[in-house]
Amino acid sequence: MNWPQLLITVATIGSIFGVVTLALNLQYARGGMINFGIVAYFAVGAYTYAIITQPPPKGLDQYAFGLDWPWWAGFLLAGIAALGFAALTGWPTLRLRGEYLALTTFAFAEVFHSFLLNERRIGNGTVGLSNVHRPFGDWGPIEEKYVFAGAAALLLIVTLAAFRQLLASPYGRALDAIRDDEVAAQSSGKPSADMRRQVFLISAVPVGLAGAVYAMFTTLAQPSLFTAEVTFVVWIALVLGGERSVYGAMLGAFGLVFFEEVVRALPFETVRSAQIAASVEHIITGVLFIAVLRYQPFDRIQRKVRAST
Amino acid sequence: MLFLQYLTAGVVTGCFLILATIGFSLTRQVEGFLNIAHAELLGIGAFATWWLNASQGWHILIAGPAAVVFTALIGLGIARTIYDPIRSRGPAVLLITSTGVAFVIGGVIDALVGTGIRTLDIGLATSYKPFGIRITDYQILVVALAAAVSVSLALFLNRTRIGLAIRARAVNPELAASRGVDVATTSRVTWLLSSGLAGLAGVMLAVIATLTTDLPFAQILQILAVAILAGLGSLYTVIASGLIIGIAMDVSVYWIPAGYRPLVAFSIVIIVLLFRSEGLAGRRAA
Repeated sequence: MNWPQLLITVATIGSIFGVVTLALNLQYARGGMINFGIVAYFAVGAYTYAIITQPPPKGLDQYAFGLDWPWWAGFLLAGIAALGFAALTGWPTLRLRGEYLALTTFAFAEVFHSFLLNERRIGNGTVGLSNVHRPFGDWGPIEEKYVFAGAAALLLIVTLAAFRQLLASPYGRALDAIRDDEVAAQSSGKPSADMRRQVFLISAVPVGLAGAVYAMFTTLAQPSLFTAEVTFVVWIALVLGGERSVYGAMLGAFGLVFFEEVVRALPFETVRSAQIAASVEHIITGVLFIAVLRYQPFDRIQRKVRAST
Repeated sequence: MLFLQYLTAGVVTGCFLILATIGFSLTRQVEGFLNIAHAELLGIGAFATWWLNASQGWHILIAGPAAVVFTALIGLGIARTIYDPIRSRGPAVLLITSTGVAFVIGGVIDALVGTGIRTLDIGLATSYKPFGIRITDYQILVVALAAAVSVSLALFLNRTRIGLAIRARAVNPELAASRGVDVATTSRVTWLLSSGLAGLAGVMLAVIATLTTDLPFAQILQILAVAILAGLGSLYTVIASGLIIGIAMDVSVYWIPAGYRPLVAFSIVIIVLLFRSEGLAGRRAA
C-alpha cells in the first residue's frame, strides 16, 4: 500500500469534507436545523466553479455556458452561488422544523440532482464536465498534490476560524440561547427565525467553496459524484465526531475518509472480493453510525474533560 | 390513447407506491419517526423472494409469503434491538440511526447477492388489451394487492381491539398508556405489520421490476415523496398521495423526458409543503 499517497489523499479529501461537516455542525448543533440535502450546496459550488472556469462549448459539448474566467473568480462565485441557492431553498423550507425540514432539504437535493442529470445545457447531463481547471501547478520543488492538500487544509482552517469567531461573539451566544430554549430567547428579543435563516445562509458559503475545491481536485463535475450518499457520509462524519463539538466533527470527517480510502486502496484478487469489501465498508459505516449514536462516547469524553478542568 | 396508456401506468405505479408507503407511514405515526431503512426492508423482501424462488426452486406463491414473514421478523428484530433503546432521544436521532441501519442492510444485501440483474423463476407477464390499453397480469396483481391491503388495513385499524389500540397510541401515547393500552404489544404488532407490508412491496418489486441491489434504496425517494405529501394523515391520505405521485410521474412522461420523473414527484412535494407545511392531511387535531 502506498501510504504517503494515501495520507495526502486523506488530507485533501478529509479537509474538503471537513469543511462540509463543520457547516453541518453549525446548522445542526447551533441552529437546530437538520439539512439532509447538504450535497446540493456542495454540487452547486462544484458546478459553478466548473462553468465559470471552463472554455466555451465546442464539438460534442452540450453545455451552454463556459466563461473561461480565472480560477479565483470561479472559486468566489462558487461560494456566492451556494449562498444564493441557500437563500432560494431556505426561503420556503425554513418555516418547517425537525424532520419536515430534513425531508424538504432532501427533496430539494434530489430535484437538483435530477435536474443536473437531465438538463444537458448546464453540465452535459450524466456525462458531466471533465477537465475542470486546476489552478495550482507544482510550486517550485513542491509537487502539485502537496500544494493541493495545503490549499484544502487552508480552507478548512479559515472556515474553522471564521465559525469559531462567529460562535464566540454575542451573536453566537444568542444562537445557543435560541437552541437551548427558543421561547425564552424570543421573549428576550432574539429574532429566532431570522437568525436561523442567517445561519443557514452563512454556513452554505464554505460548502460551496469546498465544492469548488472538490471539483478542482477530481477535475470533474458529474452528477454521480453528488448523490444523497455524500449527504449521508457527511452526516455520519458529524455524528461520529460528536455533533456538539467542532473538533470532533472534523476528526469524524478525517476518520471516515481515512477508513474509506484504506478500503479503496486495498489490493483485491477478484472483482467479487472488491465488491464484498465495498459492501463491508458500508456495513461497518452503518454499524459505527448506530453505535456512536447509541453510546455517544465522544460526548462522554468531553463531559469528563470538562468535569476534570 | 397514448395519454390513457400513461395514465394506466401511473395508476399501477401509484398502487405500488401505496404498498411501499403504507408501512412507512404506519411507523411514522405510531413510532413517531421516519424509518429511512424501510426501503431496505423492501430489498430484504425482494431478495428473499428471489433466493427462495430462483435458487431454492420454491413456487412464487410459497416463496412470496415466506419472504413477507421473514421481512416482518427482521423488521421487528431491528426495532427491538436498535430503535427501542434510543427511543427517548427523539425523532431526529432515530431518523439518523435508521440511515445507519439502511447502510448495514444495503451492505449485507450487496455482499450476499452481488451485482447484476436478478430475475425470478416465474412466467412472463401476459398482456391484456381492454379498450386498447395494454396492461399485464402482474400490473393488475399490484393494483389488486394495493386495494386488498388498504381495505384490510382499514378494517384492522378500525374494527379490531389491537388496531384501535395502535391508533390510540398514535394519537396520544401517554394518554393511551394511562388508559391501559399495552404499549409493548402495540409497538411489536406495528413493527410486524409495517415490516411485513414492506416485505410485500418488496415481493411485488421482485415480480414487476428489473431487480438489482441498488433498486431498494432508489425506492426511498419515492416513498418519502408520498409520505411527505400525505403528511401525518390517515391511511386514506397515503392512498390519495400514492396515486397522485404515481400518476403525476408517469403522465409527465407524455410531455417531458422520463428522466424527470423524480423531479416531478419532488416538485409536487415542495409545492404542497409551501402551502400546507403539514402535508395533504393538514394539521392534526390536538
